Amino acid sequence: MSKWYPKQGRVILHVDMNSFYASVEMAYDPKLKGKPLAIAGNPEERRGIIVTSSYEAREKGVKTTMPLWEARKLCPDLVVMRPNFERYRSASKSMFKILSDITPFVQPVSIDEGYMDITDCESLGSPIFIAETIQKRIKSELDLPCSIGIAPNKFLAKMASDMKKPMGITILRKRDLDEKLWPLPVGEMYGIGKKTADKLNNLKIFTIKDLVEADSYQLKRVLGINGERLQNRANGIDPSPVDPDAIYDFKSIGSSETLPHDTTDESEIKKLMRHLVRNVTRRLKRKQAVGRNIQVMIRFHNRKTITRSIKLPDYIEEEEDIFSVSYDLFNQNWNGEAIRLLGVTVQDIAEKKDVAQQLDLFTYEKDASKEKLYEAIDKLTDKYGENPFKTFKYEDDQEQPRTSFQKDFLDDYKQ
Amino acid sequence: MKFVIQRDQLMDSVQHVMKAISSRTTIPILTGLKIEAKDDGVKLTGSDSDISIESFIPKEEDGIINVEQIEPGSIVLQAKYFPDIVRKLPQKTVEIESDDHLKVTIRSGSAEFHLNGQDADEYPQLAQLHTEDSFEIPIDLLKNLIKQTVFAVSTVETRPILTGVNMKVEDNHLDFIATDSHRLASRKIPLEKSSSQLKFSNVVIPGKSLNELNKILDDTHDNIEVSVTENQILFRTKNLYFLSRLLDGNYPETSRLIPEQSKTIVYGNTKELLNSIDRASLLAKESRNNVVRLQTKENNQIEITSNSPEVGKVVEELTAKSIEGEELKISFSAKYMMDALKVVENEQVKIEFTGAMRPFIIRPIDNDNVLQLILPVRTY
Repeated sequence: MSKWYPKQGRVILHVDMNSFYASVEMAYDPKLKGKPLAIAGNPEERRGIIVTSSYEAREKGVKTTMPLWEARKLCPDLVVMRPNFERYRSASKSMFKILSDITPFVQPVSIDEGYMDITDCESLGSPIFIAETIQKRIKSELDLPCSIGIAPNKFLAKMASDMKKPMGITILRKRDLDEKLWPLPVGEMYGIGKKTADKLNNLKIFTIKDLVEADSYQLKRVLGINGERLQNRANGIDPSPVDPDAIYDFKSIGSSETLPHDTTDESEIKKLMRHLVRNVTRRLKRKQAVGRNIQVMIRFHNRKTITRSIKLPDYIEEEEDIFSVSYDLFNQNWNGEAIRLLGVTVQDIAEKKDVAQQLDLFTYEKDASKEKLYEAIDKLTDKYGENPFKTFKYEDDQEQPRTSFQKDFLDDYKQ
Repeated sequence: MKFVIQRDQLMDSVQHVMKAISSRTTIPILTGLKIEAKDDGVKLTGSDSDISIESFIPKEEDGIINVEQIEPGSIVLQAKYFPDIVRKLPQKTVEIESDDHLKVTIRSGSAEFHLNGQDADEYPQLAQLHTEDSFEIPIDLLKNLIKQTVFAVSTVETRPILTGVNMKVEDNHLDFIATDSHRLASRKIPLEKSSSQLKFSNVVIPGKSLNELNKILDDTHDNIEVSVTENQILFRTKNLYFLSRLLDGNYPETSRLIPEQSKTIVYGNTKELLNSIDRASLLAKESRNNVVRLQTKENNQIEITSNSPEVGKVVEELTAKSIEGEELKISFSAKYMMDALKVVENEQVKIEFTGAMRPFIIRPIDNDNVLQLILPVRTY
């Protein structure tokens, strides 16, 4: 029995890439190293906000989501680049590949961070040694910096990786909590956003220690079930497992975009809607999924935002169908006021293989023409078990996803 | 305006015209109900501009007096209150009177309501249809045509034309067709004499209109007159005038999509099959798609199964009267199948299949003029 591994309990790593997009650009073009670098949405338009920036830029006060003009004022020699999602995606894929060389229990959370459960990796060395190995490999093979947290659960590992950046390795044990975790303001805690922090502050809860000592009944009343969960986490309790498949549990796929200027121009709105639907459809196809709830979000010039959705009798997946439903929904709910942002989300999503396809009177000939093929597949399936054939996945990697929240490009890191 | 009227007669008429009145209309006065007293009786009107209904209560019918003491005139009353008032009045007769200031008094027994009316001159004139394109059919037959088809209209607006029933008249036959593109219902009847020159194919009546019409019409052998213009259709009986907007656009040609040859034919008892599908769908209902599977077996056996991984599964075998042709395994929506079987109106049903990926046809065994078609479900 190794002294490094607990008899009971787990060892969890949280690997967090440091200013990922900027670091990838620097690895791609080493001349950028040491320069203040920012990645911004669309440099020339209003939606040009900072997506991420290098540590050199952060030192000057440049922050994520800051408008570009403000960042330039703080840091006149700022190098600004558009995002190259294809590069980030491929770097991310290589990074997760390195993690999965250690253990299959890797749970990607987003393009640049993931959890690992290394409880059973004793044979590979101590947790610190494993973390160092990972950090070194990512640095030497991909030229990318990362921080790693080591802890008995996901929450603490996440908090730990945040404590030392860049290129840090931090161990957070339960016995370290009152020294390392509890003095932090509650807003620093993972899972507590601005709104929750405000609510907690109203209850005179300012530090994580205050949260630990707070009345759990009162917490529950203000924050619901989440209050209990947050208090447990503050106490170092987080039973959630490292779930490699969590990333595949998706319930909705959406895309939204701010217009360069407020508009009432129907053709411009229609064009944006078409563009959003195209994004959504592409991602839906990549997932081999279908959906039967469509939601449209409209943000008006005065920031007032409405979301409206419609439940469909059948699952849909084609761009034309999603577009016609979305555009109808938009027209039914648009009061003609100038619009700033538009969003389209497909909800109530299911994987195609779990859904039966209702054939359509006007298109069944097309499906029926494949009947012989399907029959043959059925026969082979009976004989060999699960469908031995798969249709080729829809792939269109030239197009770039637009938000950093997309997880679907992690789908294939294992393949 | 003034009259004294039998409350039950008035209530019937009010309920009829209320079918056309919507509280959400762009023309405010249409939230009201128009009452018009003439020497020969009282006429009520309701409209939401898609559907307009007039119901006439004759002064005297078959020797029974319905309305008395008529002083001609007209008024529009708030439809929100009037029906409930009439329903709850204490006596068999009601007196309704309006003055020059549009104040309306409703008396029955010792109850007296005073309501503010609106000027009937502001109520839109209903379009008078001038058309030669009309024919007559018995009311009970029309109700049957509606019942056997209207359930199959589309309930979503993705293809608006499919929310209506296509009415065709051709070669002295009247044909109702409805499809939501997943199933299709059609019923054809021969028309009586004198309509041989009549021909139209692109008349599409909103499903909602037909549903309302079906509710209003009593099941009688009396004739109803159906007249069609470019954008409206009128159904007229002695005391009822039901006008509906028609749907714009071309109804898709469906006849060529209906398979003419079949590979497997199942003859069976309608009720037994319906009950069996109903049972199988108990488990399927809650899952993603209410799908059941039908498989033909030896010795005229049919197996109906349904499997919802999270709930459980059900298997049932029933004996068909006979099975002809190839073996078959097919999945379909239990709901569509039950909808179709419910309107077969015959103890015996004939189902013609043309393969697991093609539409199948359900008909009563003795009547080719009723056709229910269902598109199967492809399970991946």
